[in-house]
Amino acid sequence: MKKLALFVIFVLIFGTISPSLVNYAYAQNDPSILLRIAIQADKQIVNQLDRVYGDQIPNNIQIIYDKGHTAVQSLDESLPNDLKKAKKDFLSAMDAFMQISRIISQSAIKVVNTSDKIDRDLSSEIDRLEKYVKTLETISKKYNINVTNDFIKIHNLIEKTRNQTNNENVKYDKIIDEIKIILNSIKNDIHESNSKHQSGFIKQFFNKLLDKINLQLIQAENTGIDQSQIEKANGLILEIKELLSKNQIKNAKIAYVQLKELMKNIEY
Amino acid sequence: MNSLFEPIQLKTSLGDDGILFVRNDDILDTMVKTFLLVVSVIIVAALIPTQSSFSSPRALDLIIYPDGSTHISTEIDLDPFQNDYDLDLFGSTIDNLVVIGDNEFLLTTDVMGDSALIQTFGSSIISVEYDIHDLVSKQGRLWTFSLDSPSEFTLLLPKNSAIVGMTNLPINMEIIDDQNQLTLSSGKTEIDYFYSTNLSDSITNIETESNNVLYVIIGGVMIFIIIGFGIMIHNKQKNLKLIQNIQTIQKNNVTDIEMIFKLKPDLREDDKELVKFIFNSGGEVLESELRKKFLQPRTTMWRAVKRLEREGVIDIEKKDLQNLVKIRKNMEKQE
Repeated sequence: MKKLALFVIFVLIFGTISPSLVNYAYAQNDPSILLRIAIQADKQIVNQLDRVYGDQIPNNIQIIYDKGHTAVQSLDESLPNDLKKAKKDFLSAMDAFMQISRIISQSAIKVVNTSDKIDRDLSSEIDRLEKYVKTLETISKKYNINVTNDFIKIHNLIEKTRNQTNNENVKYDKIIDEIKIILNSIKNDIHESNSKHQSGFIKQFFNKLLDKINLQLIQAENTGIDQSQIEKANGLILEIKELLSKNQIKNAKIAYVQLKELMKNIEY
Repeated sequence: MNSLFEPIQLKTSLGDDGILFVRNDDILDTMVKTFLLVVSVIIVAALIPTQSSFSSPRALDLIIYPDGSTHISTEIDLDPFQNDYDLDLFGSTIDNLVVIGDNEFLLTTDVMGDSALIQTFGSSIISVEYDIHDLVSKQGRLWTFSLDSPSEFTLLLPKNSAIVGMTNLPINMEIIDDQNQLTLSSGKTEIDYFYSTNLSDSITNIETESNNVLYVIIGGVMIFIIIGFGIMIHNKQKNLKLIQNIQTIQKNNVTDIEMIFKLKPDLREDDKELVKFIFNSGGEVLESELRKKFLQPRTTMWRAVKRLEREGVIDIEKKDLQNLVKIRKNMEKQE
């Protein structure tokens, strides 16, 4: 029996710790990844330096590049035996290349955040929209929501936009706005249909929650909390239950928010 | 009367001199096991909550599009007694937000700035997807991705992008549909990359870990088969093989400068001049002589020499603390 108990404990501990062990091992499994990234970055930096400066590389940049390149060579030598040094070399190389790439770019243009619409690329925008459409399509199919025609229309619009990405006469913003309007309407339809399917689920959740709150109120009564607050909470519980029985989910939600606030006030 | 209740242990353990002997191996055994039991329970108790704590992402995947916008998909464990959940978004410019709860219900969400209030109604797990435009900035041709992640995450970079700087050690890297996918640990991460349609060649140089494993397995099997065949054929065709080897070596043996340029057609014009000079100087010169001849600064010449070494045209050796540059005798043909 003792042996069995010890075995169970051992399995529990190993089972709990093992995911982190696996992760750790995975990270260390192929340290050559570091070398591949660093060599790739080195090559890119050399290309950029050639493109921007030719053979007239400023001295400060050359010094940083030499530091980065030496770190890549050292990384190559450190692998596979000295992992600690390899990691240090990798970070040192990538830091040097990062500095160079930023110096090169600094002279170019001011920083543009991709949230600025001007910089957005149409095909990326369509890709994103298509992903969103697919997600909504999956949900609507699952709940048999009759929006097939809307999706056909969206797919046609997406195809049309894709085929004419280089046509300057096509007003893409308008097409994308049109797609977004249809998508919003689909989303509303899904929400409406969802609320019907969801009501049973929400009722079940509320009943579970209200039972829990009831127990908390009994405890609160014993600890001498203001009786009027407890009565108010009990009143809200009854109100929520009544609203749920009448299928008035939205009002039940509003009443629950009040109850939650009250429970917070009486520190539960 | 008292003697009737005399303990058995006492009776058997008392020696002639009345000394009390107690069996201490059982006590030790019990003490060790109890200690082990307590320590184990503490370890398990301490680790379990961190593994299944609520509101922690169980998966976080990011896809960067060519325009720098990022698609985020994540799954979050929640307290099933919560009716709503305040989700911290990674920024405030959010598009196409979809939150799905248990039973694949589309959950109602209100986005306020960089957070979203989700009506979860007892869902124990939610999956969240949205697009965001705050994670990548661009300066000139350089794109910078930055994120302070609460958990380990994967990052799929756009096609034709090349990483030129990063602040964290990647856990893994794979290539998915010609795109680099990095697995990174939690915390602050910054990655600089160039994005261009001309970068595709260099990107394919990076091989995936999974590919490597596959190559190792295939390579292993191939080597096994080749060795088998080799042993079989070895005795029969020993002489023939020897002749073929000699011919192969002679094929790439560099005898004149035109042959070098034929084997390496993509050499830069200024590099060709260097090669000509080395070849005409008997196939080897000191790097300092090259600098004097071509009036180049030390670093520029060093880079040129390094480039030729990478191309497989020359070898660099140390001679009296100087670099001796030699034309490689057996040169491989450029692919």
